[in-house]
Amino acid sequence: MTDYFEVHDRDGAARVGELRLSDSLRTPAVSDDVLSDAGSLWPADRDVPEGDESALTVLPHRAFPGGTADEVQEAFAVDYPDVDYPSAAVVSPDTAADATDANADAYVLSNAQAIAGHAQAFVAAVVRTREAIPPDTALYLPGVATPANAATLAYAGIDLVDTDRAVVKGTQGKYLTTDGEQFLEDLEELPCACPACQRSIKEFDRGDCVDHNVNALRAALGTVRQRIRRGRLRDYIEGQARHEQWLTAVFRRLDQQYSYLEQRTPVLRRAEITSATEDAMRRVEIQRFAERVTQRYRCRFDNPLVIVPCSAAKPYSESQSHGQYHDAIQFRGHTLSMTSPIGVVPQELELTYPAQHYDSVVTGHWSATEKEFVADVLEAYLQRNDYPRVIAHVPGEGYRDICERVEDSLGLDFEYTVEDHPTTTESLANLASTLSDELKYGKRERQHNTLRAVADYQFGEGAGDALFEDLQIGSRYPKLRALDGDGEQLATLVAQYGVLSLTLAGARRWVESDAPTKRVEIDNFVPHGSVLAPGIVDASEDIRVGDEVVIEGPQAFAVGRAAMSGPEMVRSSRGIASSVRHVEER
Amino acid sequence: MSKPSPDVYEQGKGMDAHNSVMRGIRARKDETYDPREPTRVWLDEDNTPSGVYDSLTIILNTGGCRWARAGGCTMCGYVAESVEGGSVSHEDLMAQIDACLDHEAENAEEPAGLIKIYTSGSFLDEREVPAETRQAIAETFADRDRIVVESLPDFVEQPKIEDFTTQGLETDIAVGLETATDRVRKDCVNKYFEFAEFERAAADAREVGAGVKAYLLMKPPFLSESEATTDMKRSVRKCADVEGCHTVSMNPCNVQRHTMVEDLYHGDGYRPPWLWSVAEVLESTADEDIIVVSDPVGHGSDRGAHNCGECDDRVQRAIKDFDLRQDPSVFEQVSCDCERTWEAVTEREKSYSMPLAR
Ligand code: SF4
Ligand SMILES: [Zn+2]
Ligand SMILES: [Zn+2]
Repeated sequence: MTDYFEVHDRDGAARVGELRLSDSLRTPAVSDDVLSDAGSLWPADRDVPEGDESALTVLPHRAFPGGTADEVQEAFAVDYPDVDYPSAAVVSPDTAADATDANADAYVLSNAQAIAGHAQAFVAAVVRTREAIPPDTALYLPGVATPANAATLAYAGIDLVDTDRAVVKGTQGKYLTTDGEQFLEDLEELPCACPACQRSIKEFDRGDCVDHNVNALRAALGTVRQRIRRGRLRDYIEGQARHEQWLTAVFRRLDQQYSYLEQRTPVLRRAEITSATEDAMRRVEIQRFAERVTQRYRCRFDNPLVIVPCSAAKPYSESQSHGQYHDAIQFRGHTLSMTSPIGVVPQELELTYPAQHYDSVVTGHWSATEKEFVADVLEAYLQRNDYPRVIAHVPGEGYRDICERVEDSLGLDFEYTVEDHPTTTESLANLASTLSDELKYGKRERQHNTLRAVADYQFGEGAGDALFEDLQIGSRYPKLRALDGDGEQLATLVAQYGVLSLTLAGARRWVESDAPTKRVEIDNFVPHGSVLAPGIVDASEDIRVGDEVVIEGPQAFAVGRAAMSGPEMVRSSRGIASSVRHVEER
Repeated sequence: MSKPSPDVYEQGKGMDAHNSVMRGIRARKDETYDPREPTRVWLDEDNTPSGVYDSLTIILNTGGCRWARAGGCTMCGYVAESVEGGSVSHEDLMAQIDACLDHEAENAEEPAGLIKIYTSGSFLDEREVPAETRQAIAETFADRDRIVVESLPDFVEQPKIEDFTTQGLETDIAVGLETATDRVRKDCVNKYFEFAEFERAAADAREVGAGVKAYLLMKPPFLSESEATTDMKRSVRKCADVEGCHTVSMNPCNVQRHTMVEDLYHGDGYRPPWLWSVAEVLESTADEDIIVVSDPVGHGSDRGAHNCGECDDRVQRAIKDFDLRQDPSVFEQVSCDCERTWEAVTEREKSYSMPLAR
């Protein structure tokens, strides 16, 4: 049971947590002031200390630094005592799993010096340790934090650091900033406004440099915490981590640890995704959208496909250019927006996270990687969805290359309608005349297809038909309401995220349908407002933050939105696991 | 609430693991050596209870340490200097002594007053150096003033010592005590004897008119800089309290080839001590009634005790100066910006965050 650490906000593997000491500490943070080390067992036997709630006590330990042989680790591993005050256990990635019996609130990684600076070793060690220890425990990486690496450490899943490296660097006359380090002698001015830097460069000595470095580290962690709360740490990392090669390598290697990040990445967010680098394409949110669009979504329209370029304004349908395409198409074609870094967005999913939540740098130039990614997605999309005709209403740059590549690869013939630019009168006239003989689809068909498409995307292939067999529509796009044949409400389309939120009737249908249900099994109580982790008996593996979940127990049936992943719900002993939207007693 | 179990310490599980790992590491090397050549020989000067002497130091190749064959000490690579077959005959050992005398004759103006014989093992272990050879060597150096022979305490027996004292030699047994803390000696160094055994050897030596020189190891693996410094200060003081132990040679651990320390060093988990730490121990124990010397091997290099690179030679010179004069004020004359870094490391480094600075 973890009593003294709780996670409040999650952003990928990064978390804002609370070390619940007598004065609580928001993490990621420096632990200097709250740590009490009971000492190493290498030089002396030690009693388990008294401990109290004012400090995080590092239990008597035998640390295994980098390069310690496995056999030595096994032979000298410490059995940590289970104490009733805030405690931390010193572990290596190899010993972490065995050390969890003591139910410590935090774990200290003893080979930090060996992995800092080496992306591959770092990612392997942190992922291994993080997976071995319970999610609601803090991971402390001692002796390596700097203002430059703090964000990346947190991004990987580190909760606690210290000022040791910053201090040591200061004594060496190295001035640290979030963009790296410089020798004091090389500074013409002090590029900082912290209290230590309120003097002339000539008077600034190594003591001041120590103070500045510590200030800079604390400030960097403040930025990190705020970024995590806003769900925007990744956007920051993609820019900031570039100042040090190994940090860039760390987040790229983490992208390759897809399941580690995917499990920890929410399915929806309020925050925007800034796509300013090619790395954005490898983000979980982007990969997940592409995967669902090409594996879960199915087009229910019989009309021709019209591929159009994305617009800067979101949702696309509210942009000026898409208004013009719409006027030309007139419900005669199914619109698919092509975009980097998302891939392709069918019109029914234009609201769905992250389709209306990203912002990319528009230069009109496509890199080879972008083209390849979007072409792959479009190709997979067209393999799954058959259209009588494919009309590509796209400009020459990039878009056209991608279309031609996919045409070639699939042996299709696209019809091109753009002369120079898609919004010129001539291009729009081409588009309109190409479609003039096609039939229009009606509003009802459009609304039904939208709700079913979102259900497919959100709940799995075929879910749209399984949930909404006998569908009636209430309200108007974008706030569509799904009702059954008798007029009972099943779900609402949440315009902000483009996902469905279910009613109890909808949840019951979900449970009864063939669509895979995400279930949270709870103890004998009736939850109101939220379900806390200790009340959870079991939860589906594939639950992600933001997912709709059915909550069931001997006394209650409820529906809500997950605040933790399934594995985290099962392994945590603290924190809000899910909100509860509707509940009924059994 | 349970206590961390002392099981590991008692069961010898740790020692088994250390030995097994060390055997594996040592198996990586494949050098062999000529049994008629000493491992090393050099001339120097040394501080002894009867003053500073010119010295002839001999590292005899005796086939290597038996403990090292079982695995042995975590920092010791001397076993790399063993011979094929494992033992060296009386004739070959005497040939090595002759080679050393030739070296001395060529390089020294006059015979050294002090002879020091090390073996990468135990000179008093008769499986390494037969009684016949020991007696012959005692005779060979009968004309000198002092002799030091190296041995683990278990082989220290009065009749063996008397081979030397009866030749009129002031005799000292050099014991690789490493630390006065049994737990550190066992778990960090992986040496099997206890401090009590050292005290016994010192008492026996004293009874037959010989003395003991303790070799201490500063910063074995798994200790932080401050833990290592504390361990040394305490060890020097404990040695000073042992009757018959008149000299301590406190030597910073260096990274020798084919050792556990080398694996840790390559794995970014070990840094030899700072020369400032060596100086601090010498300075703070200068008032003890015992000669304390130190010879930081490989000082200034990454593999030896080092500071920032700027001041290493100056601090090393001060240490050497201290060795001869035992005057702590020699350290007042050296300073460097890196003292501040060393202070921060000493204050902050934990065994779970080391090495905090390289
Ligand atoms: S330090 Fe001495 S006892 Fe230990 S292995 Fe080396 S030679 Fe043998
Ligand atoms: Zn500053
Ligand atoms: Zn220096």
